[in-house]
Amino acid sequence: MNPLTYFLLALKASLLSTGGFGNIPSLHDDLLSRHWATERNFAEALAVGQISPGPNGLWIISLGYLVNGVPGALLSLAAITIPPFLILGVEWLYHKTKHHPAVEGFVRGLALSTVGVFAVVLHRLLSDVGFNARTLLICAASLAIGLSRKVPVVAVLLAAAVVGLIFR
Amino acid sequence: MTATHEAPSASLPRIFQVWFKLGIQSFGGGVATLALIQRAAVDDENWVTDLEFTRYWALCQIAPGINLFALTILIGRKTGGALGILAALAGLLLPSITITILMTAAYAKIRHAPATQAALRGILPATIGLGLVATIQIVRPLAVAARKEGVDTLIVSGVALIGSGAVIAVWHLPVIFALIGSAVLCALHAWVRSLRRTAES
Repeated sequence: MNPLTYFLLALKASLLSTGGFGNIPSLHDDLLSRHWATERNFAEALAVGQISPGPNGLWIISLGYLVNGVPGALLSLAAITIPPFLILGVEWLYHKTKHHPAVEGFVRGLALSTVGVFAVVLHRLLSDVGFNARTLLICAASLAIGLSRKVPVVAVLLAAAVVGLIFR
Repeated sequence: MTATHEAPSASLPRIFQVWFKLGIQSFGGGVATLALIQRAAVDDENWVTDLEFTRYWALCQIAPGINLFALTILIGRKTGGALGILAALAGLLLPSITITILMTAAYAKIRHAPATQAALRGILPATIGLGLVATIQIVRPLAVAARKEGVDTLIVSGVALIGSGAVIAVWHLPVIFALIGSAVLCALHAWVRSLRRTAES
């Protein structure tokens, strides 16, 4: 694995996306085609990112570690820290242009596209774990509990771990 | 008058300290962390007003990357200029990055144990379910806004969303094509729509 290329791929993925998960599809695409990471690595990193403190976007720190140890984690950190600084330019632009309709449309298009692509990626992660009654039940249950917003994410994941341990 | 020219309103150690505490407490992802930051920056420290906070957060949706980082950068600058940004980011990230790396390292050590594998068979589908929750939360406001705007926006939004998925799933094109194609489509539609509306009125 080439560290510089990894950094640039992670930077590209974060620059062209919004939110902590927006960079998943692009990175998923690039790392899998180079065989630098597996489907399983992505699922594992996402799980750690959900459990650990800080924004969920820190999942990529975990992925960097799985792919290339502490240097990989630090490269991930650099790649996700740089893009948000463009907010300074966004704020400046906002004062200049306020609301141009094309700008709003562009941003909405980015968000919609992220969702469409993300759905495909989630489907691939799910098929890597294996389609069976238990997997689908756990997935559906966490979706329902997550949507209710009543239970902390960490509690959902811990409960899922216990289910996995009991029903082997 | 932009925020850059305003006098720094907090000492660097204080900025670092407040964000460090946020970094440690921020279990449970974005929504929980956002609420914590709001309470600290608006209510406890009086760094920004309610209105400023709302405007900052809206702008952060447009910035690339993690929205909470962008928010941290804006509040950090308001309170202490360029050094304020560094103090705020360092404070937020130091604890959470360290814990994330340690947790991953611990996991890497035990990943092949049968018990770990069994637990993972529960955790991984749950992670995917929670990922779907995040997806739905992004779509919902977009869908509500599109429905309010009219059938044309709803159709264009649907084409952008499903088209992007199809680009990846069916034609196996790089993701960037889906992102830019969808963004340009929606930008053009929004622009044409606003031109037509000005022409009508």
